[in-house]
Amino acid sequence: MSSVAIAASFRRAASPSSALAVGLVLVAVLGVLIVAPLATIALQTVDDGKGFSVWQQVFAGRIAQNVLWTPLLNTVVIGVVAALASVAIGGVLAWLVVLTDLPFRRAVAVASALPFMIPSFAAAFAWGAVFRNEKVGGEVGLLTELGMAVPDWLSWGMVPTLIVLAAHYYSLAFLLIAAALASVNADLIEAAEMTGAPPGRVFLAVTLPVVAPAILSALSLAFAGAVSNFAAPAILGLPAGLQTLSTRLYGAISTGQSERGYVLAIVLVLIAGIILWSANRVLAGRRSFATISGKGGRKRRFALGRLRWPAFAAAGFVLFATTLAPIAVLVLSSLTLRSGDMGAGLTLHFWIGAADPAIAQGQAGILRNAETIRAVLLTFAFAACVAVLSMGLGLAIAYAVSRLKRHAIGGLLNQFAFLPALVPGIAFGAAYIALFGAPIGPFPALYGTFALLVIAGTAYTLPFTVQAGRGAMEQVADEIEDSARMTGASFPRRLFAIFLPLTIRSLLAGGVLTFVKIVRDLSLVLLLFTPTTPVLSVLAYRYASEGFPQMGNAITVLITLVAVVSTLLAQHLQGKAEPWLDEDGR
Amino acid sequence: MAKTKWIAGLICAALLAGGAHAQTPDAAALDRMSAAELLPHALKEGKVTVYAFTSRIAQIEKAFEAAYPGIDVVPLDISSTQMIARLKAEAQAGIVNADVAYVSDAPVVLNELLPRGTLIRYVPPDIAARVPAAFASPLLANRLSTKVVMYNEEANPNGAPIANLWDLTKPEWKGKVVMVDPSLRGDYLDFMTEIVLRAPEMEKAYAAAFGKPWVKGKNANAGEDWIAALYANQPVLVRNTDAVNDAVGKKGQARPPVGITTYSDRRDNAKENRALQVANAIEPSPGILFPAYLALAKGTRNPAASRLLIRFMMGDDTPAGGPGFAPFYVAGDYATRTDIEQPKDAIGLDAFRAWRMDPVKSAKIRADVADFILSLK
Repeated sequence: MSSVAIAASFRRAASPSSALAVGLVLVAVLGVLIVAPLATIALQTVDDGKGFSVWQQVFAGRIAQNVLWTPLLNTVVIGVVAALASVAIGGVLAWLVVLTDLPFRRAVAVASALPFMIPSFAAAFAWGAVFRNEKVGGEVGLLTELGMAVPDWLSWGMVPTLIVLAAHYYSLAFLLIAAALASVNADLIEAAEMTGAPPGRVFLAVTLPVVAPAILSALSLAFAGAVSNFAAPAILGLPAGLQTLSTRLYGAISTGQSERGYVLAIVLVLIAGIILWSANRVLAGRRSFATISGKGGRKRRFALGRLRWPAFAAAGFVLFATTLAPIAVLVLSSLTLRSGDMGAGLTLHFWIGAADPAIAQGQAGILRNAETIRAVLLTFAFAACVAVLSMGLGLAIAYAVSRLKRHAIGGLLNQFAFLPALVPGIAFGAAYIALFGAPIGPFPALYGTFALLVIAGTAYTLPFTVQAGRGAMEQVADEIEDSARMTGASFPRRLFAIFLPLTIRSLLAGGVLTFVKIVRDLSLVLLLFTPTTPVLSVLAYRYASEGFPQMGNAITVLITLVAVVSTLLAQHLQGKAEPWLDEDGR
Repeated sequence: MAKTKWIAGLICAALLAGGAHAQTPDAAALDRMSAAELLPHALKEGKVTVYAFTSRIAQIEKAFEAAYPGIDVVPLDISSTQMIARLKAEAQAGIVNADVAYVSDAPVVLNELLPRGTLIRYVPPDIAARVPAAFASPLLANRLSTKVVMYNEEANPNGAPIANLWDLTKPEWKGKVVMVDPSLRGDYLDFMTEIVLRAPEMEKAYAAAFGKPWVKGKNANAGEDWIAALYANQPVLVRNTDAVNDAVGKKGQARPPVGITTYSDRRDNAKENRALQVANAIEPSPGILFPAYLALAKGTRNPAASRLLIRFMMGDDTPAGGPGFAPFYVAGDYATRTDIEQPKDAIGLDAFRAWRMDPVKSAKIRADVADFILSLK
C-alpha cells in the first residue's frame, strides 16, 4: 500500500461513518481476544455430552466441600480481610502524608507507592525466607535457623497470606485515597471549622464524602486482586493445606482435570467481577458528588504535635517492612549456600556459578544458565511486544470510543475492553488454553507459542491501556485538533504534528507500565507456561517449589529490580509529581 | 516473471524436502539400527528434548553430551502428572515439544497416552533380549521405582517403629506421617489406589493391628477405610519427595515422623545428612513398585537422537550399566535389565515386599480413588 492509500484510509477512518467501521473492526478484534476465550471455558464445561455433570460434581458431589466450598470460603475471607487491611493502612498513610505535618512526607509518599510494583510472589518468598518453620520439611527460614521456635500460624496458612497481600495492596489504596484527599476543598474545611464544627464532624461531613469513592474503589480493587492472587496462597498457604479458588484451579488444570478447573475459573470470575462491577455502579452514581470541589486555597495541615515522630516511626516501619526488607531478604537468601543458614557461608553460586553436581542438582547460576538466560530474553521480548501492541490497540479503542460516544458500538467497545479487568489472571490464562489449545478450522493451535503469550498479555492489559490512551487523548484540547482539521490537515498530519508530540511522554509511560505489569505477572502466564516459552516469574515459582529457593529468589530479585526501575522511569516520563505535595512548594 | 520465480522456489523446496526425506530413514529402519548406526543421523539432528519425572535427568544430560558431543540434550524436569497433562495438551494442539518421555504413572500412560499414540514404544534391538517381556511391552521400562513407607534409622536403631500400615492411623502417629498430596502426584495416587485394590490384605492387616476383625462401615472396603483413617490422623502433606525425605530422614531428630517416599532416595543419606531406611517388614506391604517408562513422543523431529538417548539410558554392557544408567544404579532402584547387577546394600528384588502395581486394574478405579481422597481432608 502506498502512502497515499494509507493517508486516504486514515482520512476515511476519521470521518464519522468510517469511525463506525473502525469501531466494528475493533469490536471483532475484542470478540476474538476477550469474549471468545471466556465463552469457550463456559462451553467446555458442558460440551461432549457432559451436560451439567461437571457442575454437579463440583457444586454438589462428594468432592464439592474440598474442591469448591472450603476454598471459596477461604478466598472470600482473604479478599475481605486483605481489602479492609489494605484500605486501613493505605488510608492512614495517605492521611498522614496529605493532611498532617508528618516529617519527611515526600519520602513517605514515594515509598508508599513502591510495594505495588514489587510482585506479590517476591513478598511471599521473602516471608518464607524469614518465617518458614520445619512443619513441611525442606529448607527452613532465618528465624528457625537461628534457633527460634516459629509457630505454625505465623509460618503457614491464612495469617502470612493475609499479611503478604495487605502489604501488596495497601500501596494501591494509598495512591487512590491520597489523590482524593488532595482534592478536599480547604475552603470547605475552613468554613466548617469557622462555623464551629468539631474536627470529628468536619471529617464526617466534609472529608469523608470526598474520599468515600476512592475508599470504595480501593476496597473493590484490593478485594478483586486478593481473591485472584495465586502466589501468596500457593507459596504460604498450600503447604499447610490452605486452598483457595486460584490454587484449586491451578491444581485441577495442571493435573489434567481441566473441566473442573474451568468451573472454578468461572466462579472466580463471577466473584471478582460482581464486586468490581457493583463498585463501579455505585461510583458512577456518585461521581458528580465527588467533583464539586473547586479550587481550594492553601491547605492547613493538621498538627500531630507530640505524635509527630511516633507516627513517622510507625509509617517508617510499615514502609521498611514492605519495601526494603523483603528485597534485602531475597538478595541475602539468594547468596546463602543453604537457604536461611548464614552460618554455612555466602556464595554467588546461584547467580554466576558454573554447574556443580554438589549444589542444586548440578544447575548453574541464573546468569550462567542457558535456560534462565533464555527466559530473561523471552520475558523481556514478551513484555515489550505486549506494551507496544496493547498501547496501540488501547489508543485505537479510546479514539473509537470517543468518536462513537453516542453509538451502541462505542458502548459495546467500552464494555468489552473493560471485561479483562473483571477476570482474574489465572482464569484468563485458563480461558486462553481452552480456546487456543487446539487448532480452530484452518488456524493452527497457538499453545506453547510466543504469539499466544503476546495475544493473551495484550488482551489482559487492555483495560489499563485503554484508560492510558484516553488519558493521553484528553491532554490534547479539542480546539487544537478542530482548528487543525478546519485548516485542512489530514489525519496522519494531525497525528504526527499535533497528537504524538503532545502525548508521546504519557504514551511511553503507559507502555512502560504495561511492560512492568507483564514482567511481574505470575497468574496470567502460570498456565500458559511451556518449555518453549519459559517466562521468568513461572520459572522462579517452579524453582522455589521444587526446593531451590535461592534460584527462585535470585530470579525474583531480578524481576523486582526491573519492575521498580521501569516504574520510576514511567513516573519520570509522566513528569507527574504527587499533586498532594506540590502545593507546599517544598 | 515473479510467478516463475515462485514456481522455481517451490520446485527447489520440493527437491530439498525430497532430498532430506531420502536421507532420513523411516521409523521402522531406525528401530532396527544399533547405536553406532543411529549416531550419524542423530548428529545431523543435533538435539533431543526429554521430559523427565526425575531431577536425575540433569546428570543424564551431562553424561550423554560427554558421550556424544554435538548432540544437545534439553531436559525438562516435571512431575509425571503434569507431564501427562502437558503431553495431552500438546498432542491436542498438534505441536511437538518433547522427543522422549521418561515417565511413571503407568495407569494413565498405558490407558490414555499409548492408545492415542501420544507415546510410542521403542525397544533398542540389542536390549530386547535382555529385558523381561513384562518390562519391554507395552512400553519399555529401564527400572522399577518405589513409593514406600520409610523411617529414620538413626532414631530407630532397632528397626522400623511401625509394623503395620494400620499403625499409621493410631494416635501415636497423629500428625507424624509425611507424604506428598496424592491429588497432585500420580505416584502417590497409585500408592493409594493399590491400597484400595488390596483391600482383602488390608482387612487381614487390620485384624493383626487391632486384634479384632475389620467391619464394613460407610466406606466401600478396608482400603478406603485405611485412607480415611490416615487422613483423619492429620498427615503432613508436603510439596515434593525431597521435603518428605528431610522431614523423615534428617539426623538429630528425637522423634522423627515416618513418611511415604522413594526407596532410592537413600542414596543421598550421606550427602544430605539423613538416615532414611525402608520399613520393608511392615504388614501387609511397605508400598508399591512401579515401572519408569522410556518412550518416543509422537511426531518427534529428532527420531534418531531420541532413540539414541533411550538406548543410552538403558545402560551399556558393563555390569553396572555405565554412565547412561549410573544415576539409577543406586540401592532402591531396580534395573529391568537382567544382566545389570544389583547394587550392594539394597534389599534384593525377591526379598522386597512392595506390591507390583497392575496398571490395567489401577486405571479402572484410579479416578474414583482420587475423588475419594478429595472428599476427605
